[in-house]
Amino acid sequence: MTMSRRLLLVVVLGGIAAAVTGFVDPGGSSTALAVLGAAIVAGELLVLRPAERAPLPLSYAVILVLVRAASPAEFLVTVVAAEAVAYLLRVDDSAWDRIWVTAIRLGAAIAALGAFHAVANAMHGADSRWIVLTALLAAGVAEIVVDDLLHVVRARRLYLSMHGRSADLALVTGGMLMSVGYRGIGGLEGMGLWGPLLFSIPLLAAWYSFERLASIRRTYEQTISALSVVPELAGLVRQGHASRVAELSVDLGRELRLAPPDLEYLRAAALLHHLGHLCLDDPEVRGRPIEPSEVTDKGAEILRETDYLRPAGDLLASDTASVGNQILRVVSAFDELTAGDPAFNDAAIEALYSGPGYVYDPRVLDALERVAGSRLPAAAH
Amino acid sequence: MQRDIPIRATFYCVALATAAVATAVVLAARGPLPAIAPVLILGALFALAENQVVDLPSGAGASASFMLGMTAIVVFSDQGALLGPLLVGMCGGFYWPHIRAREWRKPLFNSANFGLSTLVSAIVFNALAPAGAHTPGQLLLLAVPATCAFAVVNLALLTVSLKLWTDEWPATWRSFGGALLQMYPFALMGVFLGALYLDYGAVVVPLLVVPILVARQTFASYLAIKESQEAAVRTLIGALEAKDPYTAGHAERVAGYAEYIGTELGMSPSRLERLRFAALMHDVGKLVVPNHLLNKKGKLTAEEFAQVRMHEDVSVEILTRIDFLAPVAPSATSEAAEFAPVADDRGQPIEPHIVAVADAFDAMTSTRSYRRALPQETAFDELRKNSGKQFHPRVVDALIIAIEQRHELHGRGHEDIVHHVDAPEAGTGSAGLGDLLREIENGSEQAAGR
Repeated sequence: MTMSRRLLLVVVLGGIAAAVTGFVDPGGSSTALAVLGAAIVAGELLVLRPAERAPLPLSYAVILVLVRAASPAEFLVTVVAAEAVAYLLRVDDSAWDRIWVTAIRLGAAIAALGAFHAVANAMHGADSRWIVLTALLAAGVAEIVVDDLLHVVRARRLYLSMHGRSADLALVTGGMLMSVGYRGIGGLEGMGLWGPLLFSIPLLAAWYSFERLASIRRTYEQTISALSVVPELAGLVRQGHASRVAELSVDLGRELRLAPPDLEYLRAAALLHHLGHLCLDDPEVRGRPIEPSEVTDKGAEILRETDYLRPAGDLLASDTASVGNQILRVVSAFDELTAGDPAFNDAAIEALYSGPGYVYDPRVLDALERVAGSRLPAAAH
Repeated sequence: MQRDIPIRATFYCVALATAAVATAVVLAARGPLPAIAPVLILGALFALAENQVVDLPSGAGASASFMLGMTAIVVFSDQGALLGPLLVGMCGGFYWPHIRAREWRKPLFNSANFGLSTLVSAIVFNALAPAGAHTPGQLLLLAVPATCAFAVVNLALLTVSLKLWTDEWPATWRSFGGALLQMYPFALMGVFLGALYLDYGAVVVPLLVVPILVARQTFASYLAIKESQEAAVRTLIGALEAKDPYTAGHAERVAGYAEYIGTELGMSPSRLERLRFAALMHDVGKLVVPNHLLNKKGKLTAEEFAQVRMHEDVSVEILTRIDFLAPVAPSATSEAAEFAPVADDRGQPIEPHIVAVADAFDAMTSTRSYRRALPQETAFDELRKNSGKQFHPRVVDALIIAIEQRHELHGRGHEDIVHHVDAPEAGTGSAGLGDLLREIENGSEQAAGR
């Protein structure tokens, strides 16, 4: 089932649920709960996917509306029902993934509920507007923190990135605004659900932008790696050479503390470092063998033709002595020696240290030993 | 550059700015004065929104600042302080690139334009709004005349300005209805934010502005990576052209013709985008063909021909690795693009046929190492002759219509770059001719048989 069909299904089912509850319980709160429940399911389908952190569903913003609109019992019933429907809609995932995601969502929702009421009770007697805003902020932060913690438990790895947090910021502020918009104006009940609906526009715009970003990033990475395979298809280098060199080069770059943009260029240069070979005449035709520096210089010339990849071309050119260039030389030679078989790693490192006629940067060789050598298992991946 | 601006345009900017300032002075003298804090907060955000404009494909750039103008109208409406919306709108002139370039007319004009548009919109809103707190239903309705008033004043002042600047009446009003529809959701968010501001204070403003800024920032990153995607494809084309200088510009031209055909066939922008990339990359497999075969002047041996043909498989292999292009990967083979008149082609992507026709047209109308460019009419005749046999008839018609509508001329005598003026008149050899190669070969075989 495609994403848009699932969304349509949710909208239709939500409409039916709202109509039925409106008929059974006219004037009661159950219609609003049915609509918000459907909005949670829809929010589970619309997910912010920054590259650097776990995906964040827009349902977290709807939770902030629900926590204010419903009693704790109503909240729990609505959330559990909505997550059950969302569970059924995740047909493409494995059972284990579905259970984990549902557990994370329920944990985050319960955290939001607890934080909201704890703060509201603690601030009893203060200006009601400030109570609402502070309690909503607490609920939003609690959701994100519990979501993060549960992801750490799931991955069994204590790693929290502070990158890509603009999505969290947008989600919490957007959710607070949606919640404030619910019955918000002048204490009038009339605004009802139109407030959250209207104020979901900024979040939907953010979702759209994140989707476009994720898809173009995927296309870009696939384009570069597809290009990197061409020398292999032409039989000029061993299979997997480019991707292995790229991966190890980035690891070494990180070990030698290159800045993130430089790592990106290093990756592109590593993937495309044999591209120039394709443009040179065959050795039989020109009557002399191809020098490695000719290959890299031709590649650099091609990369330098575009503004965006010029730094990658600079890095590849044989007349530069940047750290990135040294890394590329070492790693490319290393991969020629090992052909991707880790059993040869130590021997290859040894050979690079003492190799006759070749001069490699000792700092890079030390880093290579730390990352790929077996003598220091702590650094091994 | 500045000297070219007519004096009457300068006069207009100064007059408008003077009018805005004079109005502000009159309003300040008459009172009531607006509260300082909302003027500063909303004005600063209005200016920020103007400076944060990301060029969206739909051109919905200025909407975020307009939204804050609507907020200002509601925030100041209960005091009746019309000076507030005027001042907030006037902050919209502080567009940093204009100020840095010292184009002082543009900030003057924009400042006056935003200020007066917001002011008129506020007058209309206040005249129609009942006293006291507004219900959501009232806000929903009031946003309509307020949006119209803003849009009419803004566009009228802009149209006059463009007329004075360029001496031509611009077509700004043509898209007026669409622009109004696009503005209304922002107007609604603006007026509801204004109502929330009256209830909760300034703290609600960042709640709306932060997600919008995040969305814009993310969209800007998207545009940046899109640029790098273009760069990756240019890199590929650069490598191809380094191998075979006779094909310089070939990929771009094929992509251009493919875009003509796609537009003529009514494709959506996203599908056109995919078609363009597929057309740009259709020859990627030629990277594995040795240079001496690509540039061979004489006839290829059967063995060499097979080696050259292998590039199509490599192209498909590579395009399939890119999810976005995988559905149209057969664009790179002449076999898959072969039009089969009997087969039912519904459900089959038409892109391979488009690339095949665009490729053949460009191959015929440009000079190669083995043949001089053919005249455009000859190329059209060749396409028409094979339409329904080798080429998809709808695609052939679309290309011919698109080129004739644009009054473009390609082929012999109209080439941008001629690399090889002494190329033979006709003959076979080399790659890149796609299906036509076989056609010519068959012809020469027939001639030999006779």
